[in-house]
Amino acid sequence: MSRKRKLVSAGIFAVLIVLLIAGIILTGNPGAEKEPIKEVMRDAVLHGTGKVSLFGLIDVNPGLISAYAVSGALIVFAVLVRIFAVPRFKPAPGKFQYVLEKCVGLFSSLAEGNSPHRPGFIGGYIFAAGVYIFASTIFELFGVQAVTTSGGSISLPAPLADINGAIAMGFFSYGVILFGGLICSGPKGMLKALKDFSLPLSMSFRLFGALLSGALVTELVYYYALTSYVLPVVVGVLFTLLHALIQAYVLTMLVSIFYGESTEPSHKKEKRKKQ
Amino acid sequence: MPLNIDIQQILLHMLNFVILFAVLYFVLYKPVKKFMDKRDEDFNEKNDRANRTMEEADSAKSAYEEKLSGIEDEIKSLREDARKKGVEEADAIREQARREADEILEDARRKAEQAKTAAVRSADNQIRALAEQAAEKLVIESTAQAYENFIETVNRPAPEEEENGE
Repeated sequence: MSRKRKLVSAGIFAVLIVLLIAGIILTGNPGAEKEPIKEVMRDAVLHGTGKVSLFGLIDVNPGLISAYAVSGALIVFAVLVRIFAVPRFKPAPGKFQYVLEKCVGLFSSLAEGNSPHRPGFIGGYIFAAGVYIFASTIFELFGVQAVTTSGGSISLPAPLADINGAIAMGFFSYGVILFGGLICSGPKGMLKALKDFSLPLSMSFRLFGALLSGALVTELVYYYALTSYVLPVVVGVLFTLLHALIQAYVLTMLVSIFYGESTEPSHKKEKRKKQ
Repeated sequence: MPLNIDIQQILLHMLNFVILFAVLYFVLYKPVKKFMDKRDEDFNEKNDRANRTMEEADSAKSAYEEKLSGIEDEIKSLREDARKKGVEEADAIREQARREADEILEDARRKAEQAKTAAVRSADNQIRALAEQAAEKLVIESTAQAYENFIETVNRPAPEEEENGE
């Protein structure tokens, strides 16, 4: 690249940066002036004001819209893969097939390792749960916008950062463990799951807390103009990626372990033969 | 509800996840798992087949080696037999040759004896014939000499006639 072109490129970038800074300054700091940090945080947790209309039927938290968007995208992806990729699978896999097989193999082996008695169903369940948690957490990074009922715009959060989403996931997983135990091992299996009655709460609030903490930190970082440069790249992206991986792994691991315990066949004690 | 918990939204989340789970399970997880299991089965089958073939090859190899060592022993015994047979045959041939040589020698000796006898006999005959001839000749010669001497004596002139004639 010639010296002249380098100078021109540098000049363009410099002008762009100056314009952006000017724009940011001129538009002010709405968060600081209009809404105090407490309100922002409270809204991020409770979504008291930032509701979104679901097909004009009911007003819901934006997390539910995110959940539907993520599920829609995943369903389309799955159908496309099933139609176009799976029939062309080869014994020696290509890159895409390798990644897909790795994902399926990871959850399948997790299920077989932790729940060796009935790994088929739970393998599929933790695959779906893991993919959903990972994709929905990553979804936060795209910053998809939605219009709130009050007419403002809102960046769609991770579905599990919404407490309703986290509770749904936690309780549904507990239901799977409970009924899995009932179907596979009878009432004894169900009782084993019932003993861990705190499990749905712990799973729900673990998910909610972990994902919400990421969202709160990101909100906090973006709230102040000074910290909203460069830092979000590290805080937002890396935290989100880490959360996506860790939470997907933790929930699937817990579900497979507890499912394995509840579906474990009971060993009858052998009666001692009277001599 | 505290913390903005909404049962309706929880159920909506659950419905969303149930649909997603059903689709992911039947459309993605099961077919991929089925493919992987089938491939594993194929590989295991091929592996088993390869192991079986290997075992068969090993057993065939050991049987072959066993047979080979047996064949070596067999070859050794056959070679020994052949050597013994060869020696016996050579002895027999040698014996036969000696016998034939003896016969030839005996025959030759007999023939020589016969020839000698015949030769001696022939020589005797010849000598006898020669002696007869010689005797005959001597007789003839002596007779003829005497006749010639007589004739000569008869025909010889007297010494006076010889002088007259000159």
